[in-house]
Amino acid sequence: MVSALLLIALPLAAAFLLGLISNRHIAYALTLAAMAAGAAVSGWWVWQLGWAGAVPVDILTAGTAPPFAINLRMGLAESVLALTITLTGLLAAIYLKDTLLAIGQRAMAVVMIAVMAYCGIVLTRDLFNLFVFFELAAIATAGLILLSDDALALGAGFKYLVVSQIISALLLVGIIFAYHGTGNLNIDGMAAVTMGRVGGSLAIAFFLIFIAIVAELKPFPANGWALDIYESAHPAFSALFSAAAGTATLYAADKLLAIGGPAFLPMTTGIGVLTFLAGNILALPQHNDRRLLGYSSIAQIGLVLAIVGQRDILGSAYWFVAFGILVSHAIAKAGLYFLSGMVVERGLTAWAALRARPPLIFAFATFIALLTGLPPFPSFYAKWELAHALAANGRLTLLAVILFGALVEAAYLFRWFGYAIKRAVPEQKLACAPAKGLPTLVVLIAGWALAWLWGRFSGQTNLLMGLPLLFALAFLVTDRLPAWVNNTLAIAGLVAWFALTWQAYDPLRMIFAVIMLLGGAVVLLASYHVHGKRPGFYPSAMLMYAGMAQLLLAGNSFDFFAAWEVLTVGSYFLILRGKDSEPHALSYIVFSLGGAFLILAGFALAANGAPVMPLGGLARVPAAVAPWVFVLLAIGFMTKTAAIGLHIWLPGAHAEAETDVSPMVSGILLKAGLYGLVVVLLTMGRQRLGGIDLTHVLLWIAALTALLGNLMAIFQEDSKRLLAYSSIGQMGYAQFGLAMMNHLGWLMALMFVINHYVYKSMLFLAVGGVAKRTGTREMYRMGGLITLMPLSFISVLIGIIAMSGVPPLSGFGGRWIFYNALLTSDYRLPMILVFFSGPIAFLYLFRLIHTIFLGQLKDEHRRVKEAPFWLMVPQMIYVVILIAVAVVPGMALRRVDEYMTRLLPANGLTWDGFRITSDYGYWDPMAIMIIVAVIFATLFLWLLFLNRKAQWVKQFNIAYSAERPFRPETTHFAWNFFAPYRKALGFLVQPLATAFWDTVTGSLHAGADFARKLYTGNGQTYALQFLGFVLAAYLLSLGV
Amino acid sequence: MAQISLATGFLLILIGFYGALTQRNLMRMIVGFTIADSGVNLVIVAIGYMHGRTAPIIDSTLPAGEAPARIIDPVPQALVLTAIVIGVGVTALMLAYAYKLYQAKRTLDISTFTELKW
Amino acid sequence: MVRRFAALLLILALGAVFLPLFLAYHPDTSLNPTALYYAERTAQDLGAANIVTAIVVTYRGLDTLGEVTVLFLSAAIVGLVLARDRLTPRPHTRVPAGELLTTGSRLLAPLIMLLGVYIFSNGHLTPGGGFQGGAVIASGVLLLLLADPERRFGHRIIGFIESLSGVAYVLIGLAGLYYAGGFLDNRILPTGQVGQLFSAGAIPLIYSLIGLKVGSEFSSILADLSETEEL
Repeated sequence: MVSALLLIALPLAAAFLLGLISNRHIAYALTLAAMAAGAAVSGWWVWQLGWAGAVPVDILTAGTAPPFAINLRMGLAESVLALTITLTGLLAAIYLKDTLLAIGQRAMAVVMIAVMAYCGIVLTRDLFNLFVFFELAAIATAGLILLSDDALALGAGFKYLVVSQIISALLLVGIIFAYHGTGNLNIDGMAAVTMGRVGGSLAIAFFLIFIAIVAELKPFPANGWALDIYESAHPAFSALFSAAAGTATLYAADKLLAIGGPAFLPMTTGIGVLTFLAGNILALPQHNDRRLLGYSSIAQIGLVLAIVGQRDILGSAYWFVAFGILVSHAIAKAGLYFLSGMVVERGLTAWAALRARPPLIFAFATFIALLTGLPPFPSFYAKWELAHALAANGRLTLLAVILFGALVEAAYLFRWFGYAIKRAVPEQKLACAPAKGLPTLVVLIAGWALAWLWGRFSGQTNLLMGLPLLFALAFLVTDRLPAWVNNTLAIAGLVAWFALTWQAYDPLRMIFAVIMLLGGAVVLLASYHVHGKRPGFYPSAMLMYAGMAQLLLAGNSFDFFAAWEVLTVGSYFLILRGKDSEPHALSYIVFSLGGAFLILAGFALAANGAPVMPLGGLARVPAAVAPWVFVLLAIGFMTKTAAIGLHIWLPGAHAEAETDVSPMVSGILLKAGLYGLVVVLLTMGRQRLGGIDLTHVLLWIAALTALLGNLMAIFQEDSKRLLAYSSIGQMGYAQFGLAMMNHLGWLMALMFVINHYVYKSMLFLAVGGVAKRTGTREMYRMGGLITLMPLSFISVLIGIIAMSGVPPLSGFGGRWIFYNALLTSDYRLPMILVFFSGPIAFLYLFRLIHTIFLGQLKDEHRRVKEAPFWLMVPQMIYVVILIAVAVVPGMALRRVDEYMTRLLPANGLTWDGFRITSDYGYWDPMAIMIIVAVIFATLFLWLLFLNRKAQWVKQFNIAYSAERPFRPETTHFAWNFFAPYRKALGFLVQPLATAFWDTVTGSLHAGADFARKLYTGNGQTYALQFLGFVLAAYLLSLGV
Repeated sequence: MAQISLATGFLLILIGFYGALTQRNLMRMIVGFTIADSGVNLVIVAIGYMHGRTAPIIDSTLPAGEAPARIIDPVPQALVLTAIVIGVGVTALMLAYAYKLYQAKRTLDISTFTELKW
Repeated sequence: MVRRFAALLLILALGAVFLPLFLAYHPDTSLNPTALYYAERTAQDLGAANIVTAIVVTYRGLDTLGEVTVLFLSAAIVGLVLARDRLTPRPHTRVPAGELLTTGSRLLAPLIMLLGVYIFSNGHLTPGGGFQGGAVIASGVLLLLLADPERRFGHRIIGFIESLSGVAYVLIGLAGLYYAGGFLDNRILPTGQVGQLFSAGAIPLIYSLIGLKVGSEFSSILADLSETEEL
């Protein structure tokens, strides 16, 4: 039995001994040995208490029992905290190697004592002992601040000492009056006397003690001094300060609440959540990386404080949730500060230097994921449990505020990541050293190890054991291999996964599975066109596919949500790879995470107290709550399908993505959103909120999306943007079919899912191939490419025929089903809108083919070749598929139709050989194909006959009426092709949604800029703010 | 009796803080904090007083058996010992900081140390 | 102006928070359970005559260890901060101190040190103890520093005393863990008879070590601060 007292005695003895050792290297080795021993002791205790079944132990001193002597306690919580603190200390000491060797033994002693003090705060059960350890920590902090060479650190240290003087005065007054009131200095002894309730002057005394401890946690607005420390101190110390000090102080606050009782919980939550929100919002305008991390640290500690304040409703999940977020924060902050020590300049954009070493980028991404609460990390599980507990107890405002704060945090973190990936590499190289790399590596491994551990201890699936996710992560290892090797592995993996799981899907899911898995494999064929290596492409892409694979297999809300976030993150990394995609990728991830948080809220609300809910359980949600769940889930899924109002991220994201990525995100990823809507509508059906039928609202939104999406597409000059807006419109179409809630509507939507995948992928690949060869994406710069790129022309031709619904291809069948569906439903006006969107779609499709392939060939394009072979292969496959589906639609649809009959029995189709009959008529694709072929052949032959007498005119036989246009595009027919339509209908496509979202983010930034002026830099002002904070808290809790 | 000491202690705390929060010279701020620390220590000691009792030392005038009935509370005295020493430690630290700040900027005015802000 | 007003307002509000505490305070009429325990049991369990000493060194020994560490830290950091500016010894340009001051300080300094040693070695019997004794010793050092500002103290020897006494203190504490009831239990040495010099177990030993440590740390701080002066 190793006594936990060694955690105090050993570092102290070592620190005192250092004065006797003259050789700095020996002293440093002793320091590391002492800290490693401390970590070993803590680790031993974690092992004993967590696995070997030992019981918590009280360590007495002076051979006397408490409360007459001081005692320490070592329980599971204490051991985990001590391990966190000692490990962080050890890593920081390693990181500080050069600095410590330069300054000498005294600095090493200060580091050891700081760590010892934090451990003491965690272990002690005596109030005055707590005060002594706090003062020790404060003095050690003031000393360690000076480890940096920065002269600014002096000011920060003095400001810190000023505030800590006030804190200690309040703490002492509180302690002595509490002693007078309870006759006790032991925390457990005091709790026994007060029995969870304090009144009168004892309440004031306790308030003083509590607020002093909370002040150490740097609450808003009394935290100006902390930010200065974070900005100017040595990064290893900031890591220690953020991870270890915050951890210890939080536990002290938790211990104290046993004395004050539940009456103090609301104040704790209030301070915590205000700090979380303010810290994150004020981080938005920051440019200094360490100051940004300081704001983020303050915010995260505030979040854990809020969780401490919710301990009454969290029950047995309290430690899991609190530690989940706390250790995620500790690891992430330590890691990010360690990384910041390697970057020489202090601007956020200087982190682009990390690209010199790809493992550091991976580390950066891991740390951001830890902070944002993305799967598979502990903070994800913790966030899930927290959301469910809050929803179950009706604390919805709190949940909303926390999720909003988390979204803001994700926004600035991912914006920073975008800088690192896309900005120019600064001239200053990275300042790497083994002493810096080792701690970062350890922290990184710890993050992933804890992800596995938290998965094991949650009641849910362990996400790190899921095969698709592991497969995707394996690509990190194979990243160094040539692209074609990775590509083959990826395709094989997708096909193999489908083969393994195809029996698990009902016909509805089978459609999505075929598109996501097999369809993904086909699209990946196009990726063979890239030669050499593609660092980062395959892990990102496979992460997205892993998410989609697990989405389809998800049977309960947790698996669904985890898969949803995985595919969001994977697609973000993928989209970020495009050349100009930095702002668009950010917009994408913010909207997606916003939608994901809404989905989380919806699931939490629906779970009705349980920690997880089978997806079918959505049908059994209590009627009072069901409409809200529906709204939350629907909006969440609509951010992924880019419904109108939530669509502004899509055009940029899809257009700027790489050639082979656009089909993946536009053809496949959007279907995930549709899948979500399918799940919601199937289980929840029609919901009414305030007398309005929500599916009716969905219908209207869908109709508007279809109309406006298609309308915006016709005015685009950029071919990929045109296709992107087209996707918005087509998604509106599909959503309309789903929202009609009748058999044929659903059938059409599902048929649409397949069709849209095929022709959108095809078109994106074709357009991408053309853009590759001609060097531009703008349609007015192209023209006449039909002769040089005939295969691309054919694929685009087939594509637009299919898409526009012209017979004989599959789009026509879809139209037919759609009109049948309309006739069986009751909605007139939305129907008309959708009806109009059809011809409008045809407009831009026509523009696409006409301006690119027909017309006159430009000079610079006279020598272009056909698109790369591997880009053409999938397109040709799609052509064959389209024709096959056109002739025999029953191949895909028959099973689905039968399945739909089970769910929505009315108005089904009858299948009879090649003929399909509905209530209103019949459709015979074979006959149509033959008829159309005959008509076409006839006209074609007649055209050829007439053409014999045609006269060839040279390309440049054009008169300019004596004016030379200096913007040649204005005379090109393809530029501003639909000008008359713009005059007539342009008012419908004003960028209102963009303006709205710009206003939202702009006001957040403006608010943050204004509020941060609070931190004037004057230490006295900070002291005044602190005093004001104490008094405000006192006034607000007077009702306590 | 104890009330007077207590009141004095609180007054010293308030005066000390007022000085520390309004004086711009670093040395005066440190003096203000020293006054406040003295005030806190006075409050602690005042709490332990009990009317009509004597110091907690067993000697010829106070046999061990009579101790519980005749001594004042010894705990605040022990606490204040620690508090005084800690106060000294922090004061020494603040003085060293003030010296370095003066060296760096040739002024002791706290409102000039505002390079880090916002 | 605004600042003064705001500070005044906040201070008055703080006073308003303190007021209920002040008004509700009544001195106890009898000892609370904790104090009662100490009053009854100190003499027979620990053998110390000075109850406050017994509390400081043994019952709440961990606090004292922390307090000693606080001083150690402060001295170390002050040394760190100022040591980089230790001025090179300048030639003696000052007018030497007068006969009265020189002789007086040479006479008084040892007496002051002796008083300090007396205080900390009798900590378990009379008022005072390690901290008080150490402070007195440091005041002797201060007298010497003020009388002769150019005198330099050996930082090495001060550091040596500091470290050695610190290590010894922790070792005694650990010895208490293994040979007596717990960490910093003073019963590793016989408690003897109350009122004798060699009683109260390890308390005189610990307090002596603390006295030396505190004395050397205070002296080191004072020496560092005085050496920054430009003569």
